[in-house]
Amino acid sequence: MAAPAYPAWVTRWVSGQWRNKKRPPTLRPPRTLALADKVANRREQSTEATCITEMSVMMACWKQNDFNDAPCAEEIRTFYDCVAKAEKERKNQNEDTLSSRGNLPSSKVNKLLKRFPQITRYV
Amino acid sequence: TARALGYSPASLAPCRIMPVRWTRYNPSYLEPEVKKESHQKPLEELTEEEREQMELKAVRPIKAAPPSLSSSVFSDPMISKFTNMMMKSGNKVLARSLMSQTLEAIKRKQLEKYHKAPENEKETIECNPYVIFHQALKNCQPIIGLSNITRGGKTYQVPVPLTDNRKRFLAMKWLITECRENKHRRTLMPEKLSQELLLAFNNEGPVIKRKHVLHKMAEANRAYAHFRWW
Repeated sequence: MAAPAYPAWVTRWVSGQWRNKKRPPTLRPPRTLALADKVANRREQSTEATCITEMSVMMACWKQNDFNDAPCAEEIRTFYDCVAKAEKERKNQNEDTLSSRGNLPSSKVNKLLKRFPQITRYV
Repeated sequence: TARALGYSPASLAPCRIMPVRWTRYNPSYLEPEVKKESHQKPLEELTEEEREQMELKAVRPIKAAPPSLSSSVFSDPMISKFTNMMMKSGNKVLARSLMSQTLEAIKRKQLEKYHKAPENEKETIECNPYVIFHQALKNCQPIIGLSNITRGGKTYQVPVPLTDNRKRFLAMKWLITECRENKHRRTLMPEKLSQELLLAFNNEGPVIKRKHVLHKMAEANRAYAHFRWW
């Protein structure tokens, strides 16, 4: 039979580590118990790719017409329109408001926290 | 500070005669308006925005016009850009003469074709070298490009829409590299360039083929299009 697994306190008791009042330290925090003035750098959840349907329509047209541009002019025009619209959307969107998922990016959060830091000592 | 004045610190450049790379205009400076037609318009014809623009120009300083910007009817920004890309080691004189020889060669070839063609086909032949140049460049521009995106350690070629500037740049770059590399030792650049431009005008030739190859690769990789995040 393999060695029986006793709980940790049993082994400690048996070994005599805690005789003579040699207790483990009650609390020794390595850092101050206060909130830091920054959050971790989180990789922002990316938005979806735009204009995929127009692109696939255009590519289907290309496949049929042996990649000539003349017969596919209509599809190419719609693709360009979609791209221009998406570009304008991206320019207009304001990053100071919440993103689509309801989170601020970590850089903006850090800027705000820096303006209002945690007070660690009183004068 | 020294940086704001546009001077380099003395430690880096003890004797500097040429203008400094970092000189920068104040953001309040406006771009110069070079076209003669916009200055000759009477006041009534201007729209609201143009009137506001004129009033703004009366109070704001204006940047100095760069030497490549000209108000002549013969100057064309695309041609200037192409000439600059052809230029090597700052030899603008040579690049400009090559460009004018190219346009002349195109005109000569088209005129030859024109005079040899039968009467009914004479209208279809385009003789204006500028029109041919612009149409050829337009035909060479790729519509969709590929960009490297790394996911999970592997790099994929993802099809991506291109900006106008990037398309123009790619078209010009392909033309120039094609003319520099794939020619006989004794053919001169204007000759080869005029050949390539005429082929591109008719949607033939190696540059158009290179564009089609790019499109085919984008079409083959269309499954990775979702890796884009813009």
